[in-house]
Amino acid sequence: MLTMRGITKAYGDVRANRGIDFDVPAGRIIGLLGENGSGKTTLMNILFGMVPADAGTIVFRERVLARHTPRGAIAAGISMIHQHFMLVLAMTVTENVMLAWNDDGTWLHHHAVAGRIKEASDAYGLQLDPSALVGELSLGAQQRVEIVKAVLQGAVLLILDEPTSSLSPPEVSVLLGILRRLRNDGCSVVFISHKLSEVLELCDDVIVLRDGAVAGSRPVAGATREDLAYMMVGRELPPPVERSARAPGRELLLVSDLGARDAAGAPRVRGVSFSVREGEVFAIAGVDGNGQGELADIIAGARAPDTGRVFVEGQDVTAASVAERLAAGLAYIPADRASTGLVGVMTIAENLAMRDVGAPPHRRGWWLDRVATRALAETRMAEFGVRARGPEAFAATLSGGNQQKVVLARELGRAPRVVLAVQPTRGLDPGATRFVIEKILALREAGAAVLYVSTELDEILAVADRIAVMYGGRVVGIVRREDADLTRLGLMMAGALEETSSAALAYGLSTSEPAPRPGHRDVH
Amino acid sequence: MTSTETLDTTFTRVLSAAAAARPFVLALAGVGLALALSGLLVLGSGKSPLVAYGSLASGALGSRDRIAVALNKATPYLLTATGVALCFRAQVINIGGEGQIAVGGMAATWVALALPAAPAGVLPIVAALVGALAGAAWAALAALVRLTRNVHEVLVTLLMNFIGVLLVSEMLHGELGEPGAGFPQSPLLARAAWLPRLVRGTDLHVGILVAVAAVVAAHLLLWRTPFGFRLRLRGASAHAAIYAGVSMKRSLLSVMLVAGGLAGLAGALDVLGVHYRLIEGFSSGFGFTAVSIALIGGLNPLGVLPAGLFFAFLETGALAMQRAVGVPSPLVLVIQGLTMVFVLAAVALPAPARRA
Repeated sequence: MLTMRGITKAYGDVRANRGIDFDVPAGRIIGLLGENGSGKTTLMNILFGMVPADAGTIVFRERVLARHTPRGAIAAGISMIHQHFMLVLAMTVTENVMLAWNDDGTWLHHHAVAGRIKEASDAYGLQLDPSALVGELSLGAQQRVEIVKAVLQGAVLLILDEPTSSLSPPEVSVLLGILRRLRNDGCSVVFISHKLSEVLELCDDVIVLRDGAVAGSRPVAGATREDLAYMMVGRELPPPVERSARAPGRELLLVSDLGARDAAGAPRVRGVSFSVREGEVFAIAGVDGNGQGELADIIAGARAPDTGRVFVEGQDVTAASVAERLAAGLAYIPADRASTGLVGVMTIAENLAMRDVGAPPHRRGWWLDRVATRALAETRMAEFGVRARGPEAFAATLSGGNQQKVVLARELGRAPRVVLAVQPTRGLDPGATRFVIEKILALREAGAAVLYVSTELDEILAVADRIAVMYGGRVVGIVRREDADLTRLGLMMAGALEETSSAALAYGLSTSEPAPRPGHRDVH
Repeated sequence: MTSTETLDTTFTRVLSAAAAARPFVLALAGVGLALALSGLLVLGSGKSPLVAYGSLASGALGSRDRIAVALNKATPYLLTATGVALCFRAQVINIGGEGQIAVGGMAATWVALALPAAPAGVLPIVAALVGALAGAAWAALAALVRLTRNVHEVLVTLLMNFIGVLLVSEMLHGELGEPGAGFPQSPLLARAAWLPRLVRGTDLHVGILVAVAAVVAAHLLLWRTPFGFRLRLRGASAHAAIYAGVSMKRSLLSVMLVAGGLAGLAGALDVLGVHYRLIEGFSSGFGFTAVSIALIGGLNPLGVLPAGLFFAFLETGALAMQRAVGVPSPLVLVIQGLTMVFVLAAVALPAPARRA
């Protein structure tokens, strides 16, 4: 169906695509794998007509595509579903589909379009109500709106960029089912993902890119995770990190009855209480947007709670400033690396100093000590293996993995007592993910208390001692890692199951000990 | 360290120096383009652009007096534009320079008239400081409306310009007005309140030194202090600033106080050094010219210096050009406008190439 030959594209000195050949036969699901910066996105942007290739040919259904625009690609039968949906939240499903409508006419045929949405929805199991407001749908349902848009536009080749990153496990299996039905109807799918298990489950063939070139391709049948990982990174990945058995010590982080509302007054965090002990990783699982980010912001002091208290090593820090919390040993890796954790237009050295410019070594008297800041940056960059031109390079010029290393270097470099890590591996390739997990486990070894928020159950099982699930702003269940059952966790993440957990589990005690009360000494 | 490494770092340094010079070169190219295009307009009106620019240049630089006038004109521009640059760096869109200058000039006048017996040498300093405080207070009012009522600062500062300017008129028609004068102006200030001359025999007053010192101080503040770092962080990303513990409210208020103080000082120096009295409309257009200068200067205090001097010399030469060649002096406004368009277009570089 699709033949791309010798696709080449350079951005300045970076050769993003180097003579890539890429084929998609009719009725197949192709997994496109590769580390960050390996050229997947560039290749798909070229196919979809968002950027022109420097060299190479594209033939799609016996027609040559050259100098085409996304509109031309859609007309030819190619649709792309981006990680961030292109939907108007204030409009209904039908209206969103009509926005993408390509037979021009004078009048809008609301009922006809709604009828076709219903038909397609029934045919592929999309479970969509044409008159629903898109903004009121879950992320999974919004993604299915994108799919119905593509189908009604007559797409025969569907490109999905990291489609499962914001879905709960049950939503993921619904999506995979839909894609299989599309394939059975003769459509082809390009499935871009970091998640090897999903690729193994869904795809027929897999193509792996490395450094802008094809590193290999093979049928998925008979392949293992290790095979795919090896193709991606070009070397054997060492076996999974060993977690030592470690008895948790005293309580370092305690939150009690935290609650917060957003600007519109809707509750985002509701009555959350738990504690994390010395040498323990407490993971919070949950689909994006169920209050985990707000919870972490509250603990870190970036947002004030409406109710509840936060204690670090017994000190009440609920009203403490960010600087005071840093001094108390609290580190925070926020979810949004691009605009919160880092500032692209500042240098690496400035980014490393960002949270404590007001304290030594960055400050000397009235002035910034730029020499000290730079020296510290060099040390941290070496320690965390940040690859960059130097400490004066702008953060925006770094790859995603290196950007996250800068954030880790800043937050973990000062040997924190309590670490809040929110989605620290999001968008990272397996090598970089492993690096993050190793650092987190090393902190656990060193006796830190870690609050680890993630949407990936695999990852949570690799690091956590206890696992809480958040849904709708509340903790709907807490289990010990050894009692974790993936199906039950998945159902809890989807809001279909709730378990009342004992206070002993919330505070990480063996059941024989009495649960503590948050009657800690207040220090102000 | 091996010699290759040394060579490599030297090379990197040269490269980054070239990169740092790039906006300056681009800005000069923008000025050149603006002059060339305005030259075409002169040509269209049947005059020679070369002669017109010649008289413009001699009108601005032709004598010690002309240069003195231009530097006096540059003083309020530099002070106000420096404050605007600091605000814009922090994503605080303060366009209230006009009103802050007016109120600053008024406060300085009031002090100078109220204390005619103050010892010479002290009075100008006290009056200038009170002017700065009044400008800061005027800006703080806008900031408080922003912070408590959540009305955007663009709107508040813009509207408070009208109030500030009209307040000055009101005072000149009453309290501060000169009885019997046919024009809304204050009585002449006592000599003790006048700013000392910098160069004997010219009108040049010491204000330009104050302005240059303010530019340098703002540069150090922005790039070398934790306070400036937080302003830049706030401007680059509000999310990151909150994450880093920068108080969005406190930083807005403090940068507005600094900018208002500089604008108030600008108004005070203009009254004490140039007019020796408060005149209705003395600040007219200063605030918006300062915004243009801050933008052309790349929101960098050190960039404000050449941009502000350029505008002041241009305006000083304008009348001479009109007299000598008959090219209407508003052509200078065209040159200023075109300079702004070209310089901003040239300096707004394409975003760095994204990684795949």
